[in-house]
Amino acid sequence: MNYACHKVMVANRGEIAVRIVQACAKLGLDFVCIYTAEDAASGHVRLAREAGGTKRLYRVSSYHDANELLAVADDAKATAIHPGYGFFAEDYRFARRVSRRENKLIFIGPSWRVIRELGDKINTKRLARSLGVPTVPGSDKPIYDEMEAEKIARSLFEFQRQQDIERPLVLVKASAGGGGMGIEEVHDIDLFRSVYRRIRNYAVRHFKDEGVLIEQRIRDFNHLEVQILAERGCANVVHFGTRNCSIQSIGLQKRIEVAPGFDSASINYRFDADKVLEDITRHSLTMARKVRYDNVGTWEWIVTREGNPYLMEVNTRIQVENGVSAAISRIKGQRGVDIIAEQIRTALGEPLGYAQNDISFEGMGIEYRIIAEDPDNRFAPWVGRIESFGWGHEDWLTMHTHVPVDTCYDIPTEFDPNLALGIVWGKNLYEMRDRGSRFLTSLTLKGGSIANEELKSNVAFLLRKTEDVLLF
Amino acid sequence: MLDISAVLEEIQASPYEEIVVSAPHSGEIIFPEKLFPGDEVFGPSGTWKEKDGDLLATLIRERNPQPILCPKKGEIVVVHRELHGTFVQAGTELIRLRHFLSREEVVRLILKRALHLFCAPERAKYYFIPSVDIKIKVSGPNVVTIRDGEEIFIMSRMKRETPLRYSGPEGVIYAVYFSHAQNVDAGQPLIGVCPPYMVKQVEEVVMRVQTEWKVRE
Repeated sequence: MNYACHKVMVANRGEIAVRIVQACAKLGLDFVCIYTAEDAASGHVRLAREAGGTKRLYRVSSYHDANELLAVADDAKATAIHPGYGFFAEDYRFARRVSRRENKLIFIGPSWRVIRELGDKINTKRLARSLGVPTVPGSDKPIYDEMEAEKIARSLFEFQRQQDIERPLVLVKASAGGGGMGIEEVHDIDLFRSVYRRIRNYAVRHFKDEGVLIEQRIRDFNHLEVQILAERGCANVVHFGTRNCSIQSIGLQKRIEVAPGFDSASINYRFDADKVLEDITRHSLTMARKVRYDNVGTWEWIVTREGNPYLMEVNTRIQVENGVSAAISRIKGQRGVDIIAEQIRTALGEPLGYAQNDISFEGMGIEYRIIAEDPDNRFAPWVGRIESFGWGHEDWLTMHTHVPVDTCYDIPTEFDPNLALGIVWGKNLYEMRDRGSRFLTSLTLKGGSIANEELKSNVAFLLRKTEDVLLF
Repeated sequence: MLDISAVLEEIQASPYEEIVVSAPHSGEIIFPEKLFPGDEVFGPSGTWKEKDGDLLATLIRERNPQPILCPKKGEIVVVHRELHGTFVQAGTELIRLRHFLSREEVVRLILKRALHLFCAPERAKYYFIPSVDIKIKVSGPNVVTIRDGEEIFIMSRMKRETPLRYSGPEGVIYAVYFSHAQNVDAGQPLIGVCPPYMVKQVEEVVMRVQTEWKVRE
């Protein structure tokens, strides 16, 4: 099928849906959007309506209902489906179903086998170790035997003492768990056995599997990422550099991302920062080639204060922060890189058309996640109506938002209160920080709740943290 | 003080509830051949509502037919037969029916005006805290007495849950107006509380509806 004949179903909402629609328009591809009743006022709905009326828009009961999404895809005669991030983006069963059903669709993401292989954190860790890629010290398989568990915990405490870590910590977690469920940390080997038993019992109760993972608990680290893109068949794998996502909320959700991941030209690190970036990029590419990775993906790393990198996990999807990598990337010297458009193009079978040597990097980028929340109250989400939202237009600023700027907007309570992504480019760290601060101070964001409470946002938090980026 | 006679008269002037049956999700809609305006249809019945209501339509997606059943006894007013065989979007109106209010429903309507209503402060999903939830599930709401400032709800929105305290007079939870996992808009009532001084009036409402409301056969 000719690439231009494809029709992409945008199986997501909000800002990412807007960006997928924009990428489709850039590539000359037809598209169809979905929305739920709560999202009727969202920018992605308006965009789809403006682009083609109701034929490009279907109201659904939920973004989580695979049957419904596929029924809509058939009715709209879509040939490909873009899951965005969240929802079905990393669900290998969905990706497999999409590609195997009678009316086959192209899943715009890695193939289901890759998602399955790298979606399993234990499997990823084992694969990484087999390739000599450093991972967080600890077990790479579920532990079912108490004696073995204690032996691993003892060796982890000993390992940390050898590294002069002041307060060694060991993490005990249910291997079948996720999202922070069934995790406890231990600071004393004498307490280990009781914690181990507690987690094992929890795991049996909740996951019907008493397997437990035991790892070193690493504190005081920077969170880095490597952006990978590979064409179908894995013939050509490239990277779009690194990002530093260390500024997060207390719930460990990212709030600021900076590309590249370190800046040795402006900051003195205890270690060779450039070498660390090179190492994590090389390791990420090695793993991508080994698993025959075939779309966009992010290799997530933690780098300790001493400069030791450990692979955490692989996110087999496009990420929120892809735009900040795009901001500093140049393909054959050209600006305007759009990683989402590249993702769609390659997923539809187009060759990349360039190699790693054609990709260069210029300057620094910072991405701010503008969210209606109260950072002083444990980042509690704020609910209400946005009455005015605006910013100054600059050639170094890119805004991605689904919030209308010409009308009021009620934040739906069904989803996270993310409002926009502001991506700022500067030729170096100082210019980037300066422009970032200018952008945030010029931002207009006002609103109120039913209880007459003034809009709460994280803008002041972002402004304060701008000075701390890339530091330990 | 509520004028029960006036409210009863008002309800009697229009003793119906109009029910709009919409597509719960997207899919191809098929109506039964014999379903026309004026037809009488029945909702679920039996002691535990174990018998399904009449079939109003079938919604098909991914080859899975989902029957859309009549929620309450009533008379068909509109059937959107022009949609037969087409792909409809979630929320599309399919059928409209007129339901004659039962005694229990009339009591509920009147009490909504008489009881102290505790309303949702924000649009969110609401749940009772586990200890209250168990009591209500086992014995019904009327066994739960609540006091001002007591934490009885969990408010769930944007993937976060926060406790919510009741404010109002002490009394028994007489009516619950929200259901599991459903969003409640700000200002909509969550529960109706009957303070001790209102018990007599509530009993009078129940008695008068039992005697004065004529159930349509």
